[in-house]
Amino acid sequence: MEAILQVKNLNKTFKLSRKQRKLEGGAAYKRAVDDLSFTAYKGEIFGLLGPNGAGKTTTLRMLATLIKPDSGDAVIDGASIVADPYGVRSKIGFLTSELKLEDFFTPNYLYDFFSKLYNVPEETATARKNKMFSKFGIDKFAEVKVANLSTGMKQKLSLVISLVNDPDFIIFDEPTNGLDVLTAKTVTDYLVEMRGEGKTIILSTHIFSLIEKLCDRVGVIIDGRLVALDTLANLTAEKNLEDKFFDLYKSVKGEMQ
Amino acid sequence: MKTVLTIIKKEFARFFKDTRLWITALILPGLLIFALYNIMGSIIESEVEKGADETCTAYIVNMPDSQSAAYSAIFDIKDDYTNQTAEDALKDGKLDLIIVFPTDAGKIQIKYNSAETKSQTAYALAVAMVANYDIVDLADEQSVARTILSTVVPMVLLMLLFSGCMAVAPESIAGEKERGTIATLLVTPVKRSHIAVGKIAALSAIALLSGLSSALGMLLSLPKLAGSVGGGISFAMYGFGDYAAVLGVILSTVLILVAVISIVSAYAKSVKEASGLVVPIMILVMLCGVFSMFAGTVASIGLYFIPVFNSALVISNVLSGAVNTAGIAITVCMNVAFAAVLVFVLTQMFKSERIMFNK
Repeated sequence: MEAILQVKNLNKTFKLSRKQRKLEGGAAYKRAVDDLSFTAYKGEIFGLLGPNGAGKTTTLRMLATLIKPDSGDAVIDGASIVADPYGVRSKIGFLTSELKLEDFFTPNYLYDFFSKLYNVPEETATARKNKMFSKFGIDKFAEVKVANLSTGMKQKLSLVISLVNDPDFIIFDEPTNGLDVLTAKTVTDYLVEMRGEGKTIILSTHIFSLIEKLCDRVGVIIDGRLVALDTLANLTAEKNLEDKFFDLYKSVKGEMQ
Repeated sequence: MKTVLTIIKKEFARFFKDTRLWITALILPGLLIFALYNIMGSIIESEVEKGADETCTAYIVNMPDSQSAAYSAIFDIKDDYTNQTAEDALKDGKLDLIIVFPTDAGKIQIKYNSAETKSQTAYALAVAMVANYDIVDLADEQSVARTILSTVVPMVLLMLLFSGCMAVAPESIAGEKERGTIATLLVTPVKRSHIAVGKIAALSAIALLSGLSSALGMLLSLPKLAGSVGGGISFAMYGFGDYAAVLGVILSTVLILVAVISIVSAYAKSVKEASGLVVPIMILVMLCGVFSMFAGTVASIGLYFIPVFNSALVISNVLSGAVNTAGIAITVCMNVAFAAVLVFVLTQMFKSERIMFNK
């Protein structure tokens, strides 16, 4: 198996606000990601599983070069997130609910705009747009302002636009959050389809069923640390993923409150 | 370069395709200023006419027969007052002046009401009469007009440009940050410097148009406003070089203003916060306009190295007819250099996760 992503000793701390300090027992800093290392291989769907606040989103944002690690590095398809963030950005697609599209513009305009920013040749961009728009049913709304689209349609458009550069490495933060069952299925089906094309997908979620349905390998993150990393088959060999996760959680945090 | 153009085009599309936005930023300022100045002109004109139409009324005590004809020619002399009722009438503004001639060798007493414009006029007339002066104003109309313009225009112009910048910059940067659309831009492989340059170029062009709209409104209403205070203002007073110098200085000033407001907007968490944070800067810019009135044409060359203030100085110089070529050159160079520094700062801010994602 060929490694496409190598995460090496990634660390990230955030400064806490005064109010948060009181809640966290006086510490001025919170370690969001603690010495995280893992590898993802070409053509697999890699899942990061963890509770809210475990550091999944922070990890993915570092991989997408939106924020910088305090120390450590990750290399995606030969480009380092620290030394060559522009190189990384052109190789990846990043989708999270944090990235919004401007309400004022139409899907058509936004797709062309982002294609140009990624330097996609015009003909390729048009062909890709037609294909993706019809696949996700955006073609009927291509000239409707984003503001007037339904939540599901907005999500689909965000997905399509995050892939304007047809990347081989795709990062998804909570891919099905806030989606109705139909849209969620469209998205997960497409993830499987992309894996079939040899693309690598790394996604984060706290939904066990999503991991069981999609992922080849799983990393479990608790309190910023990787507490387990294995294939889905190995992790669920003895018991189901949910029970396995709670076992891990207990061993790290003690009995749950 | 191509990505810079793409960003510029997007900013233009955002602005010009939004009818409401360009009406409020481009049409309204000019229209409002035009209407406002015309109304002001009409009011001043009617006030001036009121004063000019009626002769001032005066109650004169012990008028020597020899002076009677001369005073009657200037004042409308009222006899139906006593000394006491005359003073009350003066206080109430019904009478403009009381003159009391001495019965012996004492002084002439003039009573007037400084709260009333007409009474002030009457007072000036009386003083001239008593002293037997003949007052002649030698200033020609054009130089009066130049002086008025050179003191008023720099400040007004700076304010108009500033509000033009305010109409677009916070929305485009703090607004994008607030709505989370800037993050979408930041995950693309576009260089941060290209985003900064593209945004500032596009916003400057729009702000300039907005400033132009205000300036047009001001210029078109100037004849009405100027006519009311004696006229003498005409566009032919200035040559092509003067207009070119003013335009160049305005361009470089808009770059700075847009860049400064963009930096504040990048720092702010929302459009609302940006508008609040900008207020101290607006006051500084206003002060630049105010101080340029006092610096006048004798300003030392060192003052031309202060961005924005130098713009006010140059505009004031040009309008007063004293073109300072070295000053203009220094101003444009300084402003462009300063704007470049600001673009660099904005680029660094786009690179900073603490600034771009501080929610």
